[in-house]
Amino acid sequence: MSLGKKLRNSQLWRSIFRHPAPLDRRNRVAVMLTNFVLHLHSVSAKKNSLRFSYTWGMGLITLYLFLVEVITGVLLMFYYRPTIECAYNDILALRDVVSFGVVREVHRWAAHAMVITVMLHMFRVFLTGSYKAPREFNWVIGVLLLVLTFLLSFTGYLLPMDQLSMWAITVGSNMARATPLVGHEGPGHQLLTLGGVDMITSRSDARLMLLGARTVGQEALNRFYVLHCVALPLVATFLVGLHLWRVRKDGGISGPVAVGDGRQTGAVGGEAS
Amino acid sequence: MIDWPHYASEEGFVAGLAGPLGWYYLGVAALNLGAMWYALRRRRSRLEAVVWALMGMAFAGLGGLAMSGHPLVLPEWLKDACDRALGPVTFTLGAMAGLVIFYLGRRVLVQPLVSWTALNVSLLLMGASMTDPDFARTVSRPDNVPIVGMVYLLAFFTWLGTAQAVRNDERLRRGQGPVEAGFTDKVLVWPDVVYIELIGAIVATVVLVVWSLLIPAPLEEPANPAVTPNPSKAPWYFLGLQEMLLYFDPAVAGVVLPALIILGLMAIPYLDPNPRGSGYYTVDQRRFGWAVFLFGFLGLWILLILIGTFMRGPNWSFFGPYEPRDPHKIAAATNIKLCEYFWAVWLGRGVPRVPPESGGLQKLGIILWREIAGLTLTCAYFVVLPAVLARTALRRMRQAMGRARYWLMILLLLMMLMLPLKMILNWTAHLSYIVSIPEYSFNL
Amino acid sequence: MRRADRRPVAGAQGRRGPSRRGLLRITFSWLLWLGFAALGAVAGLWAAATARFLFPNALKEPPQRFKVGFPADYPPAHVESRFKDEHGVWVVHGTYRGQAQIYALSSVCTHLGCITIWQEEQKRFKCPCHGSAFYMDGINYEGPAPRPLERYAIRIADDGQLEVDKSRTYQEELGQWHDPDSYVPT
Repeated sequence: MSLGKKLRNSQLWRSIFRHPAPLDRRNRVAVMLTNFVLHLHSVSAKKNSLRFSYTWGMGLITLYLFLVEVITGVLLMFYYRPTIECAYNDILALRDVVSFGVVREVHRWAAHAMVITVMLHMFRVFLTGSYKAPREFNWVIGVLLLVLTFLLSFTGYLLPMDQLSMWAITVGSNMARATPLVGHEGPGHQLLTLGGVDMITSRSDARLMLLGARTVGQEALNRFYVLHCVALPLVATFLVGLHLWRVRKDGGISGPVAVGDGRQTGAVGGEAS
Repeated sequence: MIDWPHYASEEGFVAGLAGPLGWYYLGVAALNLGAMWYALRRRRSRLEAVVWALMGMAFAGLGGLAMSGHPLVLPEWLKDACDRALGPVTFTLGAMAGLVIFYLGRRVLVQPLVSWTALNVSLLLMGASMTDPDFARTVSRPDNVPIVGMVYLLAFFTWLGTAQAVRNDERLRRGQGPVEAGFTDKVLVWPDVVYIELIGAIVATVVLVVWSLLIPAPLEEPANPAVTPNPSKAPWYFLGLQEMLLYFDPAVAGVVLPALIILGLMAIPYLDPNPRGSGYYTVDQRRFGWAVFLFGFLGLWILLILIGTFMRGPNWSFFGPYEPRDPHKIAAATNIKLCEYFWAVWLGRGVPRVPPESGGLQKLGIILWREIAGLTLTCAYFVVLPAVLARTALRRMRQAMGRARYWLMILLLLMMLMLPLKMILNWTAHLSYIVSIPEYSFNL
Repeated sequence: MRRADRRPVAGAQGRRGPSRRGLLRITFSWLLWLGFAALGAVAGLWAAATARFLFPNALKEPPQRFKVGFPADYPPAHVESRFKDEHGVWVVHGTYRGQAQIYALSSVCTHLGCITIWQEEQKRFKCPCHGSAFYMDGINYEGPAPRPLERYAIRIADDGQLEVDKSRTYQEELGQWHDPDSYVPT
């Protein structure tokens, strides 16, 4: 008996995987149905979804980059302290004091790459008309994920606390100052008064809610840190799950729909799972 | 870690580039040999193979020249001409014209002979331009490298999508189904899809690690709330927004337009009444949607990112690709509001002033009277123009879409078109605001 | 409830049973509406409270009043940069509408809050972020800044020194630069 076979027949192996190795058709189906991670997929897929020239693979790479961001982000959090005094020096330390100090590089370049792949993914989905029925709502979720990608990247931009961070966030957050009605320099803020007293001032407007102070400083760093490491990733994870789930429920990766009957040629709308 | 040679003179800079540029040209030569092999084996086109072999040899020669210390250098007059010709107006209008040409000539332009030659030309220009210190420094800033990559990726994928669309359109004209219809058979996800995912992950990892080893993540001086660096740029993906901030009030450029971009993107599936072109590449079956999206995505969003990344320098002045980033460059940018044009220049009268003691309604009246030209123009643009279009050029679309959808679509479209219009008005006529009511923090 | 119960029974219309049941049903649906409205109201209050939670009641900020020396320290047509780094203020001896005055201009650009630079040779405040420029009196003339730089309150304190108070600002476009608290005449 070969070592591989022995391993696959061991009690430990069989306690984890509920079926023999996926070498025949039956077990290849079973592996998709019984494995929690693989269960994101359907059992079978259109050949179209395997073609690089059709899908460009950008959604897949985006998901992978998101995982890379999570892992490298957790590693960076072991060293990084979000205070005005420590932040900049901790970033320096990540390069100089730590072995294999390219984690920050991987995190940053993967973030840039993710913005690019998200945009390319959207471009492809548009070009193939894959937002059309029944996938309209998944496109909406996709746009939300695009916005979340931008927000994650933007909040992360402040954390090194260098001049680049400081002024990019100053400019960005001052746009909030000009929000109609709820920004203290936005149109219509004069309308919100209570007994002659302005409700919206620089101490009570949308920018203060974002920064926790009137300038970019310790309070803003703390808020952006929590948004970047906890709040936004949680929302993004939920939406990514929803997005992938709906790809399956809307019939898998899109394929040509003949006009008139509204059905995909050669494929059924919803897939068995 | 790429460290561009520090240079005292331009000659020293060019000499320091000999090695990297030589390898670059040899890489392009290898790329062309790959294309030759592909043309022979897969496309069975002798002509293409011969052309690629010749180009490969030419690039190999350039590589040898570069390594021996004589890289191809762009002549000064050409660089000067480029800098002078590439103002913001020509850059924007040129990009728009490029999109129109791409749309009209797509059947020719996506042919391998044409598109691969275009790639070769761009790689040649890139290599020759790298001998210019100002160009090299702009392009090789760590945060700018991904954008150079993005430009090539976008060009490649635009070609890939359009080439398939052109092929599908021909098939559809002949009454055949799109190519994609031949791939609706099902395969098991294990192993076919799962292994592709594994390969994708490995490729992405390799790219990321090499990238991270070559280029360090930028870190500037510690944050200093008293000194703003000159220029101060937002993250590159927001440079489009930052560019918009030049032409619009922060409330419009920073809040209203981004919100409209997001909502407009979300609304696309509900505004597109065209049932055709679902699940396959096509241009002919959805010309309008295709053109609008490419205009908004490539022609505005990406173009503004490129301007912000590569063309904007100290004091946010516009610089040509080979122009030294001189912080003392003076560009006359005096701003004139439409109301000043209207009252002072065209009517030859003073702009109506709001007396400080005037009360609410009287003040509002004077303000509206002062802004009468801008308000009329805005109303004509957003109300009269769509109504006229609905009866004339866009009548069929209006009927297909229904009233609410049509108006939502046309307003979003006009908002989008307002951006380049106002940019060009600002550059040519120094127009700042069409309607300007600073008394109520409202500017358009 | 079984489906049969929902259907009105023929001939039973005049009786008290079904009409009482109808009344009950109407009352129940009203209660349901009321309940959901209350739930919505409470959820709204919760959201408002959460939003309010995000606004701190006290802000830690440096003192708003400080002395900037004697008026005689400022020669005419002079922009003093000493107080820019610590306080974000240009103290200027310039003219506004033909009147010579000393005033304190905020160094924060009115466009998006970058810190302006005083360029002596061009006699202008220049914003490095989007290229707005302001004359020495703080009036904007190029770039996207929608309005002039803001003035802070300035007065001559009891010891004869100039004192800037950053808690009060004066905006030109609102006609506030005529306020005598916004400048010291010279």
